[in-house]
Amino acid sequence: GKHVEILDAKTREKLCFLDKVEPHATIAEIKNLFTKTQGKSLKDEDVLQKLPVGTTATLYFRDLGAQISWVTVFLTEYAGPLFIYLLFYFRVPFIYGHKYDFTSSRHTVVHLACICHSFHYVKRLLETLFVHRFSHGTMPLRNIFKNCTYYWGFAAWMAYYINHPLYTPPTYGAQQVKLALAIFVICQLGNFSIHMALRDLRPAGSKTRKIPYPTKNPFTWLFLLVSCPNYTYEVGSWIGFAIMTQCLPVALFSLVGFTQMTIWAKGKHRSYLKEFRDYPPLRMPIIPFLL
Amino acid sequence: MGIVPSSVVLTSFQVMSRVFLIWAVTHSVKEVQTEDSVLLFVIAWTITEIIRYSFYTFSLLNHLPYLIKWARYTLFIVLYPMGVSGELLTIYAALPFVRQAGLYSISLPNKYNFSFDYYAFLILIMISYIPLFPQLYFHMIHQRRKVLSHTEEHKKFE
Repeated sequence: GKHVEILDAKTREKLCFLDKVEPHATIAEIKNLFTKTQGKSLKDEDVLQKLPVGTTATLYFRDLGAQISWVTVFLTEYAGPLFIYLLFYFRVPFIYGHKYDFTSSRHTVVHLACICHSFHYVKRLLETLFVHRFSHGTMPLRNIFKNCTYYWGFAAWMAYYINHPLYTPPTYGAQQVKLALAIFVICQLGNFSIHMALRDLRPAGSKTRKIPYPTKNPFTWLFLLVSCPNYTYEVGSWIGFAIMTQCLPVALFSLVGFTQMTIWAKGKHRSYLKEFRDYPPLRMPIIPFLL
Repeated sequence: MGIVPSSVVLTSFQVMSRVFLIWAVTHSVKEVQTEDSVLLFVIAWTITEIIRYSFYTFSLLNHLPYLIKWARYTLFIVLYPMGVSGELLTIYAALPFVRQAGLYSISLPNKYNFSFDYYAFLILIMISYIPLFPQLYFHMIHQRRKVLSHTEEHKKFE
């Protein structure tokens, strides 16, 4: 076969060296060979012998830029809202007028909301430390600034209104709060169940991927209908919280979160479909039958 | 969307900001409509757009007179600051009327536990010009250097 060298037209830099190219190969075929060598990143576990290379293996180094561990990002982005919400709940000085400093709301739902919000983020922190098994060790450093702005910003915005001296409790009173609280609690339990089920799919220290299936836990039966029931339950929790507090910023936060989680769910769903031929066809990414 | 090479993001941004100036400021605050600043940005935008669309049209017809290309990448040096000044002065002029009328503003308490202060919002918009304007301006200057020197190189080989 022939040797083919591919150089960058502008910089003349050597991009790729293909050996054993058939003399009658078309340019299209050579282009294919080239893109294959530039394809997806290799995994730590890949074995040299099994890679599709010639007698000389050329490995391309790609600088991903400054990285930070997933665990660090999660802990930081979740600890913020936990702390920030409490600043507003306790009406720390300089947030509301001075006459309100360190006062307490007279509405039960405000205290309930604080418990729910705090519980939610404590749960997330504990799951990050003890439950989740991450595929990737790190993510780009700039993500921590983006993510923290999002979480911390929205937490402050929501907390400001819910703990405001002029807060208006839900229109349908205790009934509304009870229903919303039930939705919130069920979805939190559901979300946790899914996290545990996903953890059990993967042995400690491994990075294997398997199709998740419903277990004896009824909360996991949602796997019959969606690929990412953890996201389904998460959206549900926030809808519950929005109804409970009847606060527009909470509804907006739920909407933005839902949009992002839908994007993630669709991606995850697509990679499940690609990786597993026998993937259950009834399942939708995030909302049963719809989305 | 593929017909001309401009970035969708940058262009949408510009369109949104212009729609905002027209509807959310000039139209909404009638008292501002007689200000000179309005004339300033309208003239700047008008001249810019006439040149820009001529540029796109001629480019698509593959017959772009150098004068149009030159105009597009040179006149902005004056027109852009002119437009920005007109916009900022108009928003600034609108402020007292917005404050007085509580225009587009919601205050607490209300049943959706939400508030919005349009006056503060306008001030934030004005402040946002500080990081945004230099970026866009220098991007155009950079483009100018690239485009106009490129043409000179080509001319050398004719």
